[in-house]
Amino acid sequence: MRTDSHLVYLIALPLFSAALLLLLGRIADKWGHLLATLVSATAFGFGVSEFISMHKQAGDSRAVTQKLFEWISVGSFKVDASLLLDQLSICFVLLITGVGTLIHIYSIAYMEHDKDRRRFFAYLNLFIAAMLLLVLGNSYLNLYVGWEGVGLASYLLIGFWNHNPAYAVAAKKAFVANRIGDVGLSLAIMICFTQFGDVTFAGVKAGAPHASPAALTAIGAMLLLAAAGKSAQFPLQSWLGDAMAGPTPVSALIHAATMVTAGVYLITRSNFIFDASSTARVMVVVVGAITLLFGAIVGTAKDDIKKALAASTMSQIGYMILATGLGPVGYAFAIMHLLTHGFFKAGMFLGAGSVMHGMDDEVNMRKYGGLAKFMPITAVTFGLGYLAILGVPPFAGFYSKDKIIETAFNQGGAKGVILGGAALLGAAVTAFYMTRVVVLTFSGAKRWKDDAHPHESSFLMWAPMAVLAIGSVASGFLLSKGSALVHWLQPVVNAGQVSDGKELMKPIVVSLLALGLVIIGAGFAIAKYRVVPDVAPDNVSVFTRAARKDLFQDDFNDAVLVRPGKVLTAGLVATDYWFIDGIVRLVAGTIREISDVLRKVQTGYVRSYALIMFVGVFIGALILWVVTA
Amino acid sequence: MNFLLATIILPIVGALAVAVIPREQTRAIKLVALGSSIITLIGSLLILTKYKFGTSGLQLVESYKWVKAFNVNFAIGIDGLALVLILLTTVLVPIVIIGGWNESENGRWSVKTFYVLLLILEVFMVGVFAATDIFVFYIIFEVMLIPVYFLIGGYGRGDRAAAALKFLLYSLFGGLLMLAAIIGLFVVGLKQNIGSFDLTTLSHLQISHGVQNWLFLGFFIAFAIKAPLFPFHTWLPTAARSATPGTSILVLGVMDKVGTYGMIRFCLNLFPDASKTFAPYIITLALISIIYGAFLAIGQKEITSLIAFTSISHFGFIILGIFAMTSQGLTGATFYMVNHGFSTAALFLVGGWMMERRKSETISDFGGLQRITPVMAWMFFIAGMSTLALPGLSSFVSEFLVLVGTFTRYPLAAIIGTTGIVLAALYVLLLVQRALHGPLQPGNEETPDLNIREKVAIAPVVVALVFLGFYPKPVLHVVTPATNQVMTQVSVSDPTPMAGK
Amino acid sequence: MFTTPTLDYNLLAPILIVLGGALLGVLVEGFWGKAQRANVQLVVALLTIAASLGWIIKIHNAPQSQSAAIDSVSIDQGGLFLQGTILVLSFLALLFFSQNDHFAPQASALPGSDEEATALRSGIQMTEIYPLTLFAISGMLLFPVAHDLVTLFVALEVLSIPLYIITGLARRRRLLSQEAALKYFLLGAYSSAFFLFGAAFIYGYDGSLSLGDLRTAVNTPGTNHIFLLIGILFVSVGLLFKVGAVPFHSWTPDVYQGAPTPVTGFMAACTKVAAFGAMFRIFIIGFGPLQNEWRPVFIAVAILTMVGGAIAVVVQTDIKRALAFSSITHAGFLLTAVIALSKASYTAMLFYLVAYGVATIGAFGIVTLVRDGSGEVNDINRWAGLAKKSPGIATAFAVFLMSFGGIPLTAGFVAKFGLFTAAYATGNTALLVVGVLSSAVALFFYLRIVLIMFFKEPTDDTVTVEQPGALVTAGVLVCFLATIAIGVYPNLLYVLADKMTNLVS
Repeated sequence: MRTDSHLVYLIALPLFSAALLLLLGRIADKWGHLLATLVSATAFGFGVSEFISMHKQAGDSRAVTQKLFEWISVGSFKVDASLLLDQLSICFVLLITGVGTLIHIYSIAYMEHDKDRRRFFAYLNLFIAAMLLLVLGNSYLNLYVGWEGVGLASYLLIGFWNHNPAYAVAAKKAFVANRIGDVGLSLAIMICFTQFGDVTFAGVKAGAPHASPAALTAIGAMLLLAAAGKSAQFPLQSWLGDAMAGPTPVSALIHAATMVTAGVYLITRSNFIFDASSTARVMVVVVGAITLLFGAIVGTAKDDIKKALAASTMSQIGYMILATGLGPVGYAFAIMHLLTHGFFKAGMFLGAGSVMHGMDDEVNMRKYGGLAKFMPITAVTFGLGYLAILGVPPFAGFYSKDKIIETAFNQGGAKGVILGGAALLGAAVTAFYMTRVVVLTFSGAKRWKDDAHPHESSFLMWAPMAVLAIGSVASGFLLSKGSALVHWLQPVVNAGQVSDGKELMKPIVVSLLALGLVIIGAGFAIAKYRVVPDVAPDNVSVFTRAARKDLFQDDFNDAVLVRPGKVLTAGLVATDYWFIDGIVRLVAGTIREISDVLRKVQTGYVRSYALIMFVGVFIGALILWVVTA
Repeated sequence: MNFLLATIILPIVGALAVAVIPREQTRAIKLVALGSSIITLIGSLLILTKYKFGTSGLQLVESYKWVKAFNVNFAIGIDGLALVLILLTTVLVPIVIIGGWNESENGRWSVKTFYVLLLILEVFMVGVFAATDIFVFYIIFEVMLIPVYFLIGGYGRGDRAAAALKFLLYSLFGGLLMLAAIIGLFVVGLKQNIGSFDLTTLSHLQISHGVQNWLFLGFFIAFAIKAPLFPFHTWLPTAARSATPGTSILVLGVMDKVGTYGMIRFCLNLFPDASKTFAPYIITLALISIIYGAFLAIGQKEITSLIAFTSISHFGFIILGIFAMTSQGLTGATFYMVNHGFSTAALFLVGGWMMERRKSETISDFGGLQRITPVMAWMFFIAGMSTLALPGLSSFVSEFLVLVGTFTRYPLAAIIGTTGIVLAALYVLLLVQRALHGPLQPGNEETPDLNIREKVAIAPVVVALVFLGFYPKPVLHVVTPATNQVMTQVSVSDPTPMAGK
Repeated sequence: MFTTPTLDYNLLAPILIVLGGALLGVLVEGFWGKAQRANVQLVVALLTIAASLGWIIKIHNAPQSQSAAIDSVSIDQGGLFLQGTILVLSFLALLFFSQNDHFAPQASALPGSDEEATALRSGIQMTEIYPLTLFAISGMLLFPVAHDLVTLFVALEVLSIPLYIITGLARRRRLLSQEAALKYFLLGAYSSAFFLFGAAFIYGYDGSLSLGDLRTAVNTPGTNHIFLLIGILFVSVGLLFKVGAVPFHSWTPDVYQGAPTPVTGFMAACTKVAAFGAMFRIFIIGFGPLQNEWRPVFIAVAILTMVGGAIAVVVQTDIKRALAFSSITHAGFLLTAVIALSKASYTAMLFYLVAYGVATIGAFGIVTLVRDGSGEVNDINRWAGLAKKSPGIATAFAVFLMSFGGIPLTAGFVAKFGLFTAAYATGNTALLVVGVLSSAVALFFYLRIVLIMFFKEPTDDTVTVEQPGALVTAGVLVCFLATIAIGVYPNLLYVLADKMTNLVS
């Protein structure tokens, strides 16, 4: 495999600029954001050049590696700090640095009035570095470092305004939920080591065929748990909504385009595990299917524009996860949807940010309305993203999402029907809630107070939106043209044929079906939201209520984890004092008691002393007698 | 010359130097104390010039006749295990002196006494790891309690006298059990005409299973109290609540390591069979410690006792790694000792400064410090991240080694242990959220940020945490030969991968 | 048929010197002017002891003699070591006698009587205590070298009776003091009776009083064996009473508390040395072969003594009573040596007696110094903050306590280690474990005193530390340094003790 001694700079640059901005402190306030943006752009440029040089090579010899140093080496547990850039990771490198750079630019304007802008950009760079390490690590342990690194960055950015208690809590919630996932990842690594004596992707891949099905399933399940944590999949989805506490560019970059998709990367990267364990695949598709519906349903009832988009993200990633569970061909489509989603969802988030910017950070869509004429560019870019996510041909989503639905059906049998059906239904609901968002925000009558002065955002803000909008339009076509992406990824995920013959129904049928449902969904939304009360009505169906409360996810967690946990903690604190330490005090106390008794025996009367002596002698005599007799 | 011996002697010289300075000249006293601790540090670093890396067995050995009646020798020597812990000690002491520059004031006694006690303590802390004669080890093991007893009782907060007494009684009780075991071991030796306390000699003894078990328990309980392991832990929170931050750093960071160090050095080395017999039970206790300590940490209201309980959880990990008896487990555990020393130091340093500024140790009295004192908040945050073993910080490497090392032999134990990862996130982030985030609590408005002295004190710790996180090789390279030797002594070997290629 | 007794004066000299000194003291008491009498008495006593000690050093290599005085005294090196120890400790103890104000001006005067009042006014100070002490010492010197049961008994009485008297000589709280004296006397007589009774039984068994004959008799078990055993038991009672072993200990706290503190120190240290020395020799020479029979009883007593003393001390508030109980615990530890009955245990015992002795005398010496207007302050709680008032004294006291507790680097640790090792070497696991645990319990008390002295704020300003005179200072200092020195570098003493026991089989 080719080596490339420059890969490390991809990570090192943003990392050092982050460290620099944090260490220099206020001194760097003036130019910090510029440096960060520059670095991010440089990284993107570097990524592109890598891509080009990669492209020149033949399919199998495209991957490059770089060994940095021996990280951990104890007994047979040897892990190098090594990087691996292959067809899969390059996709992410470009996405991360590309979208990342756009969002840097956007943030320059968006965070202009925040006195901590420098710190914000430092965190952004830190995130870029960690995320790149995540996708470039050549072993699960290296990946783990990036994996928690992005978690840290996410924590810092969600809690960027942590003087607001709610935001601080949201940050903590995200970190803890992720940690539960991380347990899965670390256990997966441990199983890998005990099974294969190796934790590099190559090593595990080589060993996988020899491992027992049980072991493979276990690894798969643990990896899925990790993915669920990072990618807000059921049952660890609850943190994503609250994560919207972070500044909107963060939601766009981390909680839409890149970090939350790390789970998809992990599963795709571990294709050799999942290909070898059908049980694991089933788990994956179940989680994916549940989440894509879950997110979609939640999305229908959110009035907070960011939370609506967050729910949508959850649902879209559900699609990707579902795809990764559909066997070799699924991985490519998952990645494709991941990339297109990266464009349109990031675009829409930035749009949402632009709207909030114009509306004094108002996030309640019921207080919007008819904004299209006040912020046309935002409306257009958002609209293009909207069409993309709906999967309207020829926009990006059409290519990626329909392929997933198709493949789902092609699983055949009941499985195919259920999964395909779920995916289709999801598409319809998606159409409904996205339309709802667009209608509530951009069309209809104005519902905002007069003190709000909606206005289009500055160039620095709309330019990135425009670029992403272009991506939302074109990316799907480009990626699927001649199954470009599928073939590109083939060496990594050995996707084999684009579609493997046994089709339940012709692609065109699926597409038409999907399109039909989308139109129904959208139409329903338009009809329903012709008039919108600016406060959410209470006389709504139980389903709406459930959706508003995120299908009771938090109530569930509270009931099952939080409250019992609190009780347990209190109980243990009491136990420690009354029981554990109590025993110690009891021993001491008993000794005192006995000591007191002895003191009483010490009457001070000679007669009693003499008696004691006599009894002593008598007992002594008894013992002698017993011993000798 | 033998730098090891020098490292032991130098603090004595320092203590004497401090002793002759008139008690009014507190500044001079502090400077001299600091100077001598730094010289000691240099001395300990010079050990590296003589140390043969990558080799197992004791080095820089030296021995002097002491108590002829029992053939006791003042014998010292180090292997990788002892070396890293000695370095940890000599590094931490100057940091403690700088960081706790003022904690010797308004104590029960003079500043002078404080630093004399501190330097004497350093002598013992270095000596206890260097001793290769069990008798000598035991003496230091016991005597080192005395300076701590006076440091807590004389300069601590709250009900310091009671805390000091509890600490001392607990440890002495354990010590006496160990004494009984040592006598037993010595007599066993006498019966085989090996009247010696030399560690290497004794490790060749043939001890029957029954006797081994009893002797093992004698040693183990003493170490379990010191470490501390559930359910022998209740002295620690009390002590931490009353001791000065500096003292806490030395107690939790270094002294308690004598417990875990002893488990490897004595329990495993001298009683291999017994160690194997008891391993399952000890691992159970270790797991309880991990989870129990974590939950109690979550339930604490004071910073100090919270840190104490996190340590109990971490000692659970260390002991888990030791008794998993795999090279990853043992090495990880040893590395864990070092890292725990640093992260505890960081927590207590910054926590101490926070309490010093706020005149309170109740977590809820803080809050919003992130905006008032960013640097201090950051340092506290980093300390917290190291406590929850964030990848990229050294504690991650050790914690993962322990877990992976345990998993290869006791998968279930490792799985249960991983819950500690989640709980750690909880107690650290709750602490961070309450102390640093949220709206500014009244009384914190004027809190000043870290001054130069404090930055100087915390900087090396943070650097160590980060550097060893990315490049742990220096430590692992030193430790591995030692742990391998332990494994041969115990006659265990790492499990081999299940799925053969 | 009457044979002229042959006496080896060279070997008996140490005892005779002390007796002579005692008689001289009587004369001084009778004829010397009262102005300087006290000092003269002190000088006489100290010189006597010094001389006696010097003689022992002179003869310490002399070949042992079974019959220093017609087979009734046998001087061997173990005996000489014990005598030496007794003399050294008495010397130290006497230094504290120099504080005359501890002793009744006129012992014969009734408490609270007019004569007493006049005596106090006219500043009379009787000093009969010195000759009495010397008599007691002479008895102690004879006790561990006596070689037949009668001599043993005589020695016992010679050392006891003066002690009964000087116990009653306290200046303050005289009633308490005299009560103590009476108790001591009554119970002492009671135990002596047992001893005598036992001796009679043994004589009845083998028709001889000599320990040597006894050994041969024991080796050839005759018919009514049971008399022998009863004899051993009763004789043991007499000895166990002297060392204050449970359940024959009850007198100890009361007497220790009642006696003038310098006397308490003297008793606590020297009596134990003499009694244990004697006990060990009787058992190893006389009863050795019957170990299996009497050992269980002794193990029971030892355990009772260790545990009982340790536990009883916990709630004590009077320092003298507390030290009394702690001395009981130590008696328990020492008994393990007798039970082990080996050369190693003999060495360990001798070493232990020295370590324990210096610490005890030092501790009681310091007790004499802590005072308020009306004399000594024995209530521990009033010692609060002593470290602030007098750091040196507090530190010294702490060190003595540490030595009692067996903390390393004090004499007590090495001693305890040796003792337990010897005990365990003969397979007494129970004794080892009980010993260790009771040390733990006792530690609780010692540390509490340290805590009170160092960590409690001074509550009572009337409590002060008397500015000690040169002799007292010297006494405390020597005990202090000895405790540390023996703890840090035990070789010299241990080697000596070992060498002096090489005659014991």
